[in-house]
Amino acid sequence: MLNHKNGKTKQEKATNEFNQIVVGNSLSKDAWRRLRKNKMAVISVILVSIYILLAVTAPILPIYPYDEIVIDHQDLPPSLTKTAGELMRDKELAKMYAQAWRQGRLVVDEATNEMLEDWVSRSKVNKVWDYLLPEGNRQLESGTFTWNASEQRSIDSREKRIANEIQISIEKMWLKDEQGKLSDVKHLETDEIVALYAKLLGVQANLLVDQYTYEIEMQLLKKIKAESTGLTDDEYNMMLRDQLDSMSTKNYDALVKENIYEKIASTIKDMAMEQLGTEASQAETTYPLNEKVAVTEYLTASVKATKMHDRRYYLGTDSLGRDMLSRIIYGGQVSIAIGFIGTLTSVLIGVVLGSLAGYLGGKIDYFIMRVVDIMYGLPYMLLVIIAMAIFGRNILNLFFALAIISWLTISRMVRGQIMSLKNQEFVEAARSMGASTPRIIFKHLVPNSLSVIIVFSTLRIPSFIMTESFLSFLGLGVQAPYASWGSLVGESVGGMTLYPWRLFFPAIVMTVFLFAMNFLGDGLRDAFDPQSKNQL
Amino acid sequence: MPEHNNSKQPLLTVTDLKQHFPIETGFIFKKQIGAVRAVDGISFSVYPGETLGIVGESGCGKSTTVRSIAQLYKPTSGSVWFNGLDLVNAPQDKLLIARKEMQMIFQDPYASLNPRMTVRQIISEPLTIYSNRNMLDPPMGKQEIEGEVEELMERVGLNRLFKNRYPHEFSGGQRQRIGIARALALNPKIILADEPVSALDVSIQSQILNLLSELQKERGLTYLFIAHDLAVIEYISTRVAVMYLGKIVELSASGELYHNPLHPYTKALLSAAPIPDPEIERKRKRIILSGDVPSPNKVHKGCYFYERCPNRMDHCATNIPPMKKISDNHEVACWLYQ
Repeated sequence: MLNHKNGKTKQEKATNEFNQIVVGNSLSKDAWRRLRKNKMAVISVILVSIYILLAVTAPILPIYPYDEIVIDHQDLPPSLTKTAGELMRDKELAKMYAQAWRQGRLVVDEATNEMLEDWVSRSKVNKVWDYLLPEGNRQLESGTFTWNASEQRSIDSREKRIANEIQISIEKMWLKDEQGKLSDVKHLETDEIVALYAKLLGVQANLLVDQYTYEIEMQLLKKIKAESTGLTDDEYNMMLRDQLDSMSTKNYDALVKENIYEKIASTIKDMAMEQLGTEASQAETTYPLNEKVAVTEYLTASVKATKMHDRRYYLGTDSLGRDMLSRIIYGGQVSIAIGFIGTLTSVLIGVVLGSLAGYLGGKIDYFIMRVVDIMYGLPYMLLVIIAMAIFGRNILNLFFALAIISWLTISRMVRGQIMSLKNQEFVEAARSMGASTPRIIFKHLVPNSLSVIIVFSTLRIPSFIMTESFLSFLGLGVQAPYASWGSLVGESVGGMTLYPWRLFFPAIVMTVFLFAMNFLGDGLRDAFDPQSKNQL
Repeated sequence: MPEHNNSKQPLLTVTDLKQHFPIETGFIFKKQIGAVRAVDGISFSVYPGETLGIVGESGCGKSTTVRSIAQLYKPTSGSVWFNGLDLVNAPQDKLLIARKEMQMIFQDPYASLNPRMTVRQIISEPLTIYSNRNMLDPPMGKQEIEGEVEELMERVGLNRLFKNRYPHEFSGGQRQRIGIARALALNPKIILADEPVSALDVSIQSQILNLLSELQKERGLTYLFIAHDLAVIEYISTRVAVMYLGKIVELSASGELYHNPLHPYTKALLSAAPIPDPEIERKRKRIILSGDVPSPNKVHKGCYFYERCPNRMDHCATNIPPMKKISDNHEVACWLYQ
């Protein structure tokens, strides 16, 4: 009977007097419809989604590693058309022309000379470079200026490097046995891999034992020192002994294998580099290269090689030759994660404590609110800085430090909301039907204050990102080689006049995101509270 | 009008119930400087199958009485005996069992339904709560609860296809029906109705009242019914209690009260109700009380009605009148009848 009835319900639709189908319309659905009418909010949603998408997919995007240092490519300006080699050539040539001008070999007319001197005195060296590069090239062509021998030599050697230098990475290695069957080196047994390395070097396998034992111990010791600070060397050594004794043979073997594997990989890389180096000069291979190469008669490796100076840096490079584009994307990962995770933790703590204080009232309310008052009294930044100093500077601690002090405002706000809701009749109804306190709080009170919570958290995310940026700017935030928008801006302030792109791009990216978040927050507020007239 | 049988066991007995809300002052160390005496010592019994109406002007403690009985507020003193259990001092688990038999209907159909829940969730909530605690007899599964919700919706006159809609999509009368369905879900013995029709249009009021009396006949429900509309109370109640300033001044069978009011306050109250016949209305003499209702913060030595009573005597100023049985079904607290 009951089942029959339920079965029928599924086909039936609620209709109104005009026979139109009526669907239930929740308040949040209503708010979503209003949000979609707000153009700025929709643009913001799209922007924020793009940012999040880029940050999440960063590892699979075709960008250079964010922490790869290429010393030759320091401070290259952004360019959509020129390769790194060309930019590097321009940069070096400009510097050499400037030097020649200083030495009086590159002659310009009186007025220009004065202008250049003026730029130098106002430390606008980049303008001098920009002016002298086309001027020098023109004079070189017309024959009024020539390089001296040593300059010509360095130019030639650089040209050769630009043409030939390649970058290699070894993806995978296979060992070829007598039958010609290939087996992945990574899946070999520990003793086999050690034997392979010995064969590669042409030494006895047992000679290697001392070396890798020492290296593994050093590695472990370093880890122990990082984990616990302030002990003597003897204590560290004792901890190392303990760890080695308690380690199973299998785990130790795994460490040995890892150590040797990396060594084999780097040896193979060197050998492959040598082979390709000669080939490159013969211009036989085309780049980028991605193929299996038989490095020795028993080892085959899948080699990825690109011409180092064919790279393109659309947003320029930083002072260590790292790609700004990939650093901004990876920096966004950290900044956005701090914004979202920080807000999430603070909202969780704030909602739980605020709703408990608001609903239970009395002594509990008094206690929680006095804690909040006291923490409000302490300077916010100081607390974060102290927390960072005590617990060490890593990203997790940054999350933690920001979260423990940022739940205050939201807990107060939620408490106020809950207090105004708890005397509503629907809460009394829930109590009269025996609902437990957690049920009343989380099923009745929190859902009804959700709109306020959502709006507040959205507006909170930019402030988290700002705080993180500020801390990173001060040097207390994320540590190299990791980047965040704040640390990128902080690092680049020093070279602001000479390399403005290093400051400009992270700053603009961050500003756009913060704007979008703020517009989204305002849009949400208007959507959830249609009566409010405080639209932007 | 069925006369109640005195030999029957009462379902609900309230004895000397007091609900005082403290007035506190002080910044850190709170000091009590007085109390709002919302309910100040009332006693009555409710018998199975009857409807006890409580009537009185705004602020006289009607709603507080009901909430104290339902243990939404912890009463200051007194006892509430229900099903052989004193609710005031009952442990939490016993109270839960009692609550299953005692449900409430609220005054404001706009505030008494959670705006974030669908009608289905609202009506099934009591069932879900008791089902989660394994206190339903017989136990119900999700499917059975669903079926029960649909049945309840149809019983109170709502289309069951509207179960996925939200309260703000309904009119006041429909919302009150949702509230009634929710109160019926656990199949209670007594329903405490806190002015269930006062927020509705007159035409809707009669529909809801008819629904309530139909349900009473069908399910043998007992009502404790609050209203400040005398006509509503006359229609639905078997017995009526008149409250003034946290005390019951007169308690009587419904017909008896309307034809033969004894207490001066009841007389004034009845004379204030308009009669829908202009001829009689014009001839009628109204008793107009002087002064305002005194503050409920005050401690009274004498009759609570002394300041405004047209028949006051010196004796009334210093002595609180006890409830006196005048006839089988009529009690009054006034020195005129002692």
